[in-house]
Amino acid sequence: MTATERTHPPILKVANAAISYETRYGDVEAVRDVSFDVHRAQTFGVVGESGCGKSTVAFGIVDFLGPNGKIVGGSIKFQGQELVGRSQEELRKLRGDQISMVYQDPMQALNPSVTIGDQLAEVLTVHRGIPKDEAWKKSINMLDRVYMPDSANVMNRYPHQISGGQQQRVVIAMALLNNPALLIMDEPTTALDVTVEAVVLDLIEDLKHDFDTAIVYITHDLGVVARVCNFVGVMYAGEMVEVGSVESIYGNPLHPYTQGLMRCVPKLGATKESSILYPIRGRVPAPKDRPKGACIFAPRCDYATDRCYNEKPSLRQIEAGHNARCFYSEEIDAEGWEPPKGLVPEITPVVEEAEREPIIRLQNLKTYYEQESSSLLSLVGAAEPMYVKAVDDVSLEVPPGKTLGIVGESGCGKSTLAKTIIGLETPRSGEAEFLGFDITAPVSQRDVDLIEELQMVFQNPDSTMNPSYSVGQQIGRPLRRFKAVPGDQVRQEVIRLLNAVRLDGSYYSRLPRQLSGGEKQRVGIARAFASRPDLVLCDEPVSALDVSVQAAVLNLLMEIQNEYDTTMMFIAHDLSVVRFFSDYVAVMYLGHLVEIGPAEEIYAPPYQPYTEALLSAVPIPDPTADQKHIRLSGTVPSALNPPSGCVFHTRCPRRDLLPDGGKICELETPPWQYNSEEHRIYCHIPIEELRKMEPVVTSR
Amino acid sequence: MFVRDYMTRHPVMAEPSMSIVEAQGIMAEMQVRHLPVVETGKRLVGLVTRQTMRIPPTELASLNVWEITRFLSNLKLEDVMVKRANVVTTQSDVALEEAAQIMIANKVGCLPVLEDDVVIGIITEIDMMAQLADLLGGNVPGVRATIRMPNKKGELAKVTGAISSQGWGIYASGGVRTPKDPDHWDCVLKVRDVPKEDLLAVLKTIEGQEVIDVR
Repeated sequence: MTATERTHPPILKVANAAISYETRYGDVEAVRDVSFDVHRAQTFGVVGESGCGKSTVAFGIVDFLGPNGKIVGGSIKFQGQELVGRSQEELRKLRGDQISMVYQDPMQALNPSVTIGDQLAEVLTVHRGIPKDEAWKKSINMLDRVYMPDSANVMNRYPHQISGGQQQRVVIAMALLNNPALLIMDEPTTALDVTVEAVVLDLIEDLKHDFDTAIVYITHDLGVVARVCNFVGVMYAGEMVEVGSVESIYGNPLHPYTQGLMRCVPKLGATKESSILYPIRGRVPAPKDRPKGACIFAPRCDYATDRCYNEKPSLRQIEAGHNARCFYSEEIDAEGWEPPKGLVPEITPVVEEAEREPIIRLQNLKTYYEQESSSLLSLVGAAEPMYVKAVDDVSLEVPPGKTLGIVGESGCGKSTLAKTIIGLETPRSGEAEFLGFDITAPVSQRDVDLIEELQMVFQNPDSTMNPSYSVGQQIGRPLRRFKAVPGDQVRQEVIRLLNAVRLDGSYYSRLPRQLSGGEKQRVGIARAFASRPDLVLCDEPVSALDVSVQAAVLNLLMEIQNEYDTTMMFIAHDLSVVRFFSDYVAVMYLGHLVEIGPAEEIYAPPYQPYTEALLSAVPIPDPTADQKHIRLSGTVPSALNPPSGCVFHTRCPRRDLLPDGGKICELETPPWQYNSEEHRIYCHIPIEELRKMEPVVTSR
Repeated sequence: MFVRDYMTRHPVMAEPSMSIVEAQGIMAEMQVRHLPVVETGKRLVGLVTRQTMRIPPTELASLNVWEITRFLSNLKLEDVMVKRANVVTTQSDVALEEAAQIMIANKVGCLPVLEDDVVIGIITEIDMMAQLADLLGGNVPGVRATIRMPNKKGELAKVTGAISSQGWGIYASGGVRTPKDPDHWDCVLKVRDVPKEDLLAVLKTIEGQEVIDVR
């Protein structure tokens, strides 16, 4: 029965808030003119790219801005009480009693040297003065409430003894112990694996419902917003450019920036064509360079007119409950948008040559890490050696000029596989061939010609670049080392490479610290392509980047690949990115390959049960899409002692499709079943059964 | 139908040291008539309502206009609130009608809901009204029938039987002893998706019962 609709005034009311940081160069206005309301039992999502002021808003609500941050204007009212101008002591009381926060990294919120039970109980004993044993009991109840398995035992453990997802649940439990009226969550699932993220997002949804808590949810991920939020505020360069209900923002984005964001998010679309990414040109201005008295988005906007450069638009209502900060929201038709020339590379489809020999072929490749045994026998060297089976029995082939995407949760062996191919790890057994050469030898024993043909783009461009070498030197080094061009032409070649990654020659003498994240990754790509390799391994090349930059980098990679006919292996945890980027996809779990095939076939039934679970966990940036609800229980087992039979049997949600509750999965390793010539699935369930599965995502 | 289902969680609360002026502002802005006063840890120490804020004129009679201003601006919630010992409270697992009786017996308009002396919610007259409205199906369209039946076992079953035999469903219902007539009960039913005339015709066929009203 639906209850009578009751209206309540908002729990949190932020009006025209402006927040500045004091710096050596004077005050920098990080956030200005931000207004929004948060109601009980509703989630207000704040989205935007990094540096747009999302976290500053969150910290500003409770004045956690640090010594140099200050609220310079506007009002922030919580339950009718003005928070701006309160003393730290008053705010501290409020924070403990009525407002809680959950941060991105659970390990930073938990004290590593105190047991979880003591940390949880402390909240109650300190804030409420509840006796210790009672606080302990209440803490266990709350852990149960956040679906913590074996909660009573978890209380006695230290934070490092539980998994990342469980740590985040402890932090959420801690935030909820005082039954706060307002919960501020700053990227609470960004550090988690997609399957764990899905469980935590479900939990947040349940808690909002049960506790009537108002939630401010800060994230950069448009998919997550679509899943958990009721209302959304889109931030750009310190201003809120659009506010509305989640359906209206996704269904009918009114501000050109929001429209641009929607276009550069990879979707889990059915076809590759539907998932073309259109990056937003230009970059977010630094706070001191923001245009004054003008629309802040004008320099990057396709619709900008003189008015936009001379007058600042205000946030105004365009349709009921849907506001945007744009002069032309009524006129702009997002559907009719045409990408400007040169924004998206024109990829000419490569003419399929019949049966080209695979460029790389792995056969039963195994990479193990030996683990120190704690047994006494190990002292005399007589103990049975223990191995972490990081890559176990992997066989695959990649045809030249194609891209193989490798996906899986963290710890499934994706990166070890890449390291083994590149030669940073030595395989224990199995065969690996590249262009007919054996590549089981470590990189130090490889021929320079072989190294030249095998290059890598790393995840974190910061840690792969020497901070004291200029960009030119970094890209020039492989050119000199491999003698790719005569010594006197290195500089020209470097500039040509810089141009190829859309950076001009002036970058030649810059140092890495003078580049933005996206630019650094471009330099990393230019360096990898300097020796014109045949195979490039990309280990999460875009996961550290913002969506609009990510789109540009992905397009760039595709363009270069198209030009040089390079083969790529693309490691990622984001299934939508892989969908967009790859011709073939391999799914890994606990060191094993569980499914491999052409991308279209991976994203449609039949699925390996693990692939199905992964797909159903991906947050989709479309609040109207129907997605199957499959959640994996438990955590990834230790690779030191993987489960017998099928490695996935301990968590498999589809085991009951087999007779006897899937007894066979525990006893025997599954066979490879072929759905088509190239698409194979590692599972006991007959392929006919798997074919009957419904697609995971159906858009309306 | 327990207090926990109809109470307002996270009520607006105030500290004992808050000035009355500020409290009044908050009550106006948040549209509330009751303000639980809490100390650290949301422990209840008192309750402020519009009534408690009414200062008897005799107290101000001896003051001149400037003194009145100072007197008022120095007034804190702890000076005017109903002290904890006199605040009538309830728990979240109490049945709603029980809470209503507590409110009637004490002539109070709200009950702070406590758990170990910590305020977890508040339930007011308005919440009770909302429950009454929901109970009788006030929030859904449909046909509402009032039937008077003798105070005998099996009478209600006749009505429900007649309605279910037509394939209709009862959305909400309530029964009460007819005022000033202890031998009869008045029963209110809300039936959805049925024409008024059809329902009336069926109800009229029931022997010994009287259809008071159909709308």
